[in-house]
Amino acid sequence: MLDARAILERQYHEMRQRALSLAADFDRIERAAGGADVIAHDARLSELRECLRVAIGTGPERAKRVQEILSDKTPAPV
Amino acid sequence: MHIIDPHIHCVSRTTDDYLYMSRAGVVAVSEPAFWAGFDRSSAGSFYDYFRHLLDVEPKRAARYGIEHFSWLCINAKEAENVELSREVIKLIPPLLDHPRVLGIGEIGLNKNTRNEITIFEEQVDLAARFDQMILIHTPHLLDKHKGTSIICDILKNDSRIKPERVLIDHCEEHTIRLAREHGFWAGLTIYPVTKVTPQRGVDILETFGTDMICVNSASDWGESGPHMLTDTLIEFRRRGHSEDEATRVFHDNPARFFGQCPKWTIKPRLKP
Ligand SMILES: [Zn+2]
Repeated sequence: MLDARAILERQYHEMRQRALSLAADFDRIERAAGGADVIAHDARLSELRECLRVAIGTGPERAKRVQEILSDKTPAPV
Repeated sequence: MHIIDPHIHCVSRTTDDYLYMSRAGVVAVSEPAFWAGFDRSSAGSFYDYFRHLLDVEPKRAARYGIEHFSWLCINAKEAENVELSREVIKLIPPLLDHPRVLGIGEIGLNKNTRNEITIFEEQVDLAARFDQMILIHTPHLLDKHKGTSIICDILKNDSRIKPERVLIDHCEEHTIRLAREHGFWAGLTIYPVTKVTPQRGVDILETFGTDMICVNSASDWGESGPHMLTDTLIEFRRRGHSEDEATRVFHDNPARFFGQCPKWTIKPRLKP
């Protein structure tokens, strides 16, 4: 098994690329017509911000908690 | 559509890549001299490498209907060895009249060291003395902003250098202004991970305008490929830009930049 340093070594460039890519995604939306409104009010983007806080924060099972943020929480049909 | 890949290292690509480029409409490529993935042991290795660039690759490319041109230099990484670099630089002047040489490149910096800067300055001087165009390699990742800034300062302080005959390559969101504010051409290198992605490349074209920007794949022995250029073209078209706009970016811009060298024969397809 690889140790933590080795894993980071292997993945760092992709992690860096994902950070840049998301920043560029937000820029692209904001630049387009109606961008400011979408950036400020779209519920999916608010969820994504929460996901990012979880991703970079502490605590176990980050991926599971991100999935939970992105899951439909309405009750099942009766 | 006809397109040009203005920066690709064909010596490290397979023949399948030439076939792919031919199918994708690539009519010409330019290949700067670069680091082979290992440090070479003598100037003789570079002499053979230059012969490979000037005599072998044009023939390989021609089989697929692709025009192949090159740039000569000692690359920034091996420039750390000043003694070897000076021997390599001596090999270059007699080759500059070769019909496939467009100029000096890709020169620049890698880790922004004193030795790299010394050899960079000596190669800028070589280009100036022989009236050659220049293709610039800017450093990777965390070294890019600092290195691009050092390079631009050296170039603009040399009154012999005409900025419109220099292309600053591998520009990204944080360095493209440096290149353009001094009147240099800017290159965008599209890589899957470590440089600009197709989406971000098109973002830069939309944000900064398409004048004096050349998009390339810089395909080499690492994770890269000629499809990065065509993926960027597809992304550009998918965002609603017309075929003429695409031709201006992916064919006419490199044709205009290279066209400043009389050996380059492919004319822009549209009026400016
Ligand atoms: Zn290169």
